Formats: sequence, C-alpha cells, structure tokens
Amino acid sequence: AIMQGEAVSKPVLQVINTRAIATGNGPPRYRVLMSDGVNTLSSFMLATQLNSLVEEERLSAQCICQVNRFIVNSLKDGRRVVILMDLNVLKTADKVGGNIGNPVPYNEGQGQQRSLAPAANPPPSKPQQQNGNLSVAGPAAPKYHAPSNQFGKASAPSSVKTPGGSQAKVVPIASLNPYQSKWTICARVTQKGQIRKWSNSRGEGKLFSIELVDESGEIRATAFNDQADKFFPLIELNKVYYFTKGNLKTANKQYTAVKNDYEITFTNETSVVPCDDAQHLPSVQFEFVSISDLENTPKDSIVDVIGICKSYEDVTKITVKANNREVSKRNVHLMDTSGKLVTATLWGNEAEQFDGSRQPVIAIKGARVSDFGGRSLSVLSSSTVVINPDSPEAFKLRGWYEFDSEGQLLECASISDVRGGPASGTNTNWKTLFEAKSENLGQGDKADYFSCVGTVVHLRKENCMYQACPSQDCNKKVIDQQNGLYRCEKCDREFPNFKYRMMLLVTIADCLEYQWVTCFQEAAEFILGQNATLLGELKEKNEQAFEEVFQNANFNTYEFRIRVKLETYNDESRIKATAVDVKPVNYREYSKRLITSIRRNAQLG
Amino acid sequence: MGDVHEVPRRRIATAHLAQYIGQPVCFVGRVEKIHPTGKLFVLSDGEGKHTTVELSEPLDEEISGVLEVVGRVTNQATIMCMSYVQFREDKSPFDLELYNEALKIIHEFPEYFPFG
Repeated sequence: AIMQGEAVSKPVLQVINTRAIATGNGPPRYRVLMSDGVNTLSSFMLATQLNSLVEEERLSAQCICQVNRFIVNSLKDGRRVVILMDLNVLKTADKVGGNIGNPVPYNEGQGQQRSLAPAANPPPSKPQQQNGNLSVAGPAAPKYHAPSNQFGKASAPSSVKTPGGSQAKVVPIASLNPYQSKWTICARVTQKGQIRKWSNSRGEGKLFSIELVDESGEIRATAFNDQADKFFPLIELNKVYYFTKGNLKTANKQYTAVKNDYEITFTNETSVVPCDDAQHLPSVQFEFVSISDLENTPKDSIVDVIGICKSYEDVTKITVKANNREVSKRNVHLMDTSGKLVTATLWGNEAEQFDGSRQPVIAIKGARVSDFGGRSLSVLSSSTVVINPDSPEAFKLRGWYEFDSEGQLLECASISDVRGGPASGTNTNWKTLFEAKSENLGQGDKADYFSCVGTVVHLRKENCMYQACPSQDCNKKVIDQQNGLYRCEKCDREFPNFKYRMMLLVTIADCLEYQWVTCFQEAAEFILGQNATLLGELKEKNEQAFEEVFQNANFNTYEFRIRVKLETYNDESRIKATAVDVKPVNYREYSKRLITSIRRNAQLG
Repeated sequence: MGDVHEVPRRRIATAHLAQYIGQPVCFVGRVEKIHPTGKLFVLSDGEGKHTTVELSEPLDEEISGVLEVVGRVTNQATIMCMSYVQFREDKSPFDLELYNEALKIIHEFPEYFPFG
C-alpha cells in the first residue's frame, strides 16, 4: 500500500539488510531492504538525519522498526523510493533472531490488484508468535498491493501523502503548462527576491519572485499583493516545499534568466506546504566567477560571486528620478583570492540591513555586471545575497583571508573604480605605468582610470595652449577673424578677446615605463605652477621667462590620476591618456603601499 | 672623527646597535629625555626602544621632536653624535613607525639596498 501511495500510518517493518551508498561529498546514504513478512523491498532510503541509527547499530539487519514518517518519491524511470524520515526501533536485531516469515522480493512490474486480507493476515500473526509485543502492530501492518498501471511511465504523477493530509499528485516542473490547472510540484527555492512595490496609474501593488528547482528543471514563480504578504515570510531560501495550484503563463524572458517557457503566478488557491524530504532535489547552485575574471565579463551579464567584504560604505539614500522615490543603497567592497576588489551595490532592505562588521564572506547569486567605473556589480531584486554561506568556497575564503596572511596584506587592485573624488581613499586603482601598459588598460570600449606616481620628464612647449572662447563653461577654440574679433562656433558669437586654455602634453615616467599624457587646464596649471593667462602673456612677451617656467616644472614627481581610452581619429586608433588630476605625492601613503607590495612579493617569491 | 661624514653610514634602529659597534651610523628618533648636563640625550625609535646619544660638547639649543643623528656606535651601544638635524614637524608630521617599517625592509633585503 505504501507503494501505491495509500495512507498507511506507522507501518512496522523488519530490516533485512542495510547498505551504505556513497554520495560523493556528502554523508553516506543508507539503503534498506525491508520486509513486512510477506514481501521485501529494497527501495527504502534512510533520511540522513537517521544515519546515526545505522552507525550506532541500533538499526541493523533483522531489527524490527516502526516507521513514523515516510515519503514516497517517484523517480524519473517510474520507480518509487520510500524515504524513511522517522522511525523507532521496536526490537533490536539481536532480540529478533531471524527474518520473520519468508518474504519474497516485491515485484513492481505487476498489474493486478490483490485483495488485502490474505496478504495482511500472516504478517501480524507471525510476529505475534515470535515476540508478543508486536500485536499492536497488527492493524498497522503494511499491505502491499500490486502496483497499478501507472508504473513505468516516467512522467506519471505519483501519489504522495502530504503532511497536510490532502492528496496531491506531484508532477515534475518540466511538465507544467497552462492547460493543466491542478498540479503540485515539490521543489527547492533556489532564489528568493525581495518584496517590490510599485504604483502606477492602475494602482499600487507588491510582488516577490522565487525560483524553484526540482530534478526536471527550474521555473520562476511570482506572488502578488495578498499572496506576497502571505507567502513571503513562509518561504525560505534553500528549503523545499510542495507548491499546489498556481497559474501558468508564458514567461517574460526579459525579467528572468530561468530556463522555462512558463512561469507560475500564485493565486489565492495556491498552497505552499513544507516538504521534509529534500535530498533528491538539487540545492542552490552557485557558479562563482573569480573577481579578476569579471573584468572580462560582458556588461549586463548575470554572475555569481563570492568574496570577503573587505570594506563597506554607509548606506545612502538616493532619489530615483523615474518615480521620484527614495531608495537606499550601499556599496560594499568584495575581495577574493585573485587579489581583485570589486564594488557591489546593494539596494533597499539589503542595503539597510547589511552588517559588514568582521569582514564576512558574502556570496551573491545573480548579480548584474555593469561597466560603471570599470567593472562593478549591482545586486538586483532577483539576486540573492548570502552572508557567510555554508559552503566550501566560503570556508576556503575565510581560511585564506584570516590565516594565510597574504589575504590581509593583499593590496587589492579595484576593478570597479570609484571616481577619484575625496571619498576614494580605499578604492583608487594604483598601478605603475608598466602595469598600465601591460594590462592594456583603455583597450576596451570604455575608458579606464588608474592612479600612479610619476615624474615629469618632458613638457612640450609648442602648442601647449590655444585660444578659447571666453564665455563661462565654453572651452571651444575660437577662430581668429583677423579683425580683432574672435568667433566661437559653439556659442555662435564673436568676441573681442579670448582666454588661454592649456592643453599640455607631458611625458611622465616611473621606474619602468613612460607615458605621454595630455593635461588640460587645471592639471597643466598645477604642473607648471602658473595660471594660463599669465603663461599666455609670458609666451607673447617674455620668451625666456616662459622657458624658465617649463624648466622648473621638469623632473617633479606627482600623483597622477590617468584616464586611458582607445580613440579613433580619422581611421586611426590610438590609446590616449589624459591626466584627470595631479596632486603632490602623499609620501606616507605611497610608502605604505610600497611596503605592503614588497612584503607581499616577498611572501610569494 | 669628522671622517664619519666622509664615509657612507648605515641607517639603523635601536635593535641594530649591537651589530654595528664601531661603525658610522645614521639614527632617526624622537627626543625622550635630555640630561641636565646637555651632553646626553635619549631618543626613541619607531618601535619605541630607547637609544642614548652622547655629545662631545654640550647642547647649545633646545631640541625636541624627531632628530636624525649621525655618529659612531660606541662599545656601550650608545651613539657618539657627530652631527644632528632636527626634522621640521610643523610642515608635516614624520611617521616614525612607517620609517621603522622601511628600515626593516632595507635590512631584510640587502641585495636591493646595497651598502657601500
């Protein structure tokens, strides 16, 4: 009867044999050959929580046990497996003495229904003869019926006893379609999004989405409004539930990467019941990409990453212009063993509740790669962020970071660059010119930024400044009309004067490489130590003083923030570098960086 | 002993004093105490360890803050000071701990910081 899915409460069975099955990297699974006195069946698996019974030898060949809870699972090839969730050992093997009755192997391929009575009587009586206390087991003895015709079809729904008491057919996710309204699936939640609210002309609403997985495939499910409220607290990531009766509709592939043509919408008839047997379902799979590989990942792709949260910023509120609402966001910086740092942006609740103290390991599934500042990650509402996940990669990272001192010393090169503003202290991307060239920065279609310490070795005096439009904010070159007026095309006006703007080409060098860099107004003025207007005058009037300014500027060392980009000009593509910012060297920070770098290299070598 | 200035001298911290007895050295440290006679003062290095510095003539000015002392290491592991320079800390503070870190590296990798 168990095999047919009928309700049998607490059957008493005898264990004929137990066998351990290796499961690769998990705890061993025990397969049990059970008998009810009439038949034996080997399709019993012990739930892992009961493994200790076998290991301590309380459950062993020939003991009698009473199964309190079990689940019947239907495998793809139609076979059924009974998973023993909870059982009591009524009599240990040594007290039993031998196999009760003469059980024959149960044959699942038969097609007849046999009546209960003849099969049932022998088992209760036999145990009664041999050990009296089993009489209570009489009415509860399992009755094995010949299987019905449903066997053999791989996709046939199997009858399953749900803990809630209502019968339901469990179908594989792959068989769900809009034409079948009554279905139940048993699936694990591999991804749970946050509740998202919206309000538009039709009203307000809220929803949250989950991704479900079973052996046949995956599917996305969304719960709206009331169902969102009802199920959001109930459904937990990585747990398995029976989902019954939802609406199926064609999937909106724009919102999801899930491979299924359909997606589920919960209705008020949908029920979600926890399922205890989960071993056969694949669990949340992460496919981590190493942070340094992210640099090669195309923008807008969805990835999983794991890293130590080396630092994190405070949560800030920004207003989204689109719907004029305030949204919280927080940048956290993740680092992994590749030594690269990436900034991930958390939004909403996750941003507010984030606690990055003690540098936790963070795993993000389904983050979107963006090219903001090089490469950075954005956590979507469909992403899952797990803090200190229970996974081998997390432990490896933690071990590397804490014990292998390289982890902490590693000066992380950030691939997501925060613009070189005042807050960028922890995030600036320091490179030597040699590294910048060898890493081919600027080759992609987006500009790359990095900082370096370099010495000015040459400045080009010729054409270092041009005559520009004197209006505020307009720096377009003006055309000399030769009549005392200068015309600006952009403003479409003529002016009697102009302002000098600098466009200085400077060669900077460090210990291994040199680089031509263009410096505009502010950077050039800083390097030359003079403002553009004065320089313009000197150029016209006092050649020698003009030269002297350039001489003095030579061989000074500064910190440069450089922007490199591949630019095409008249069919020719060249890497162009611009100095966005020039500052005096902060020797303290510089030497700290150098010391760290030396120590790190010493450890590696 | 004016020759100390002609000759290359190693930068050391208190921990290295014993190794360089009799050698000309350069020591950077913060003034801790000045002896009333003015012929002796104590400097602490980046690790906080103290070194005694002796002078042939007593000090003629007040000294404080971080100093760089050039001299020779005596048998008693003090420094016989030939000249000193006061670091101006009003412009920017001198990070003695960082200096100490740099010293450690210099001593750890003599092949990259060849002496003499």
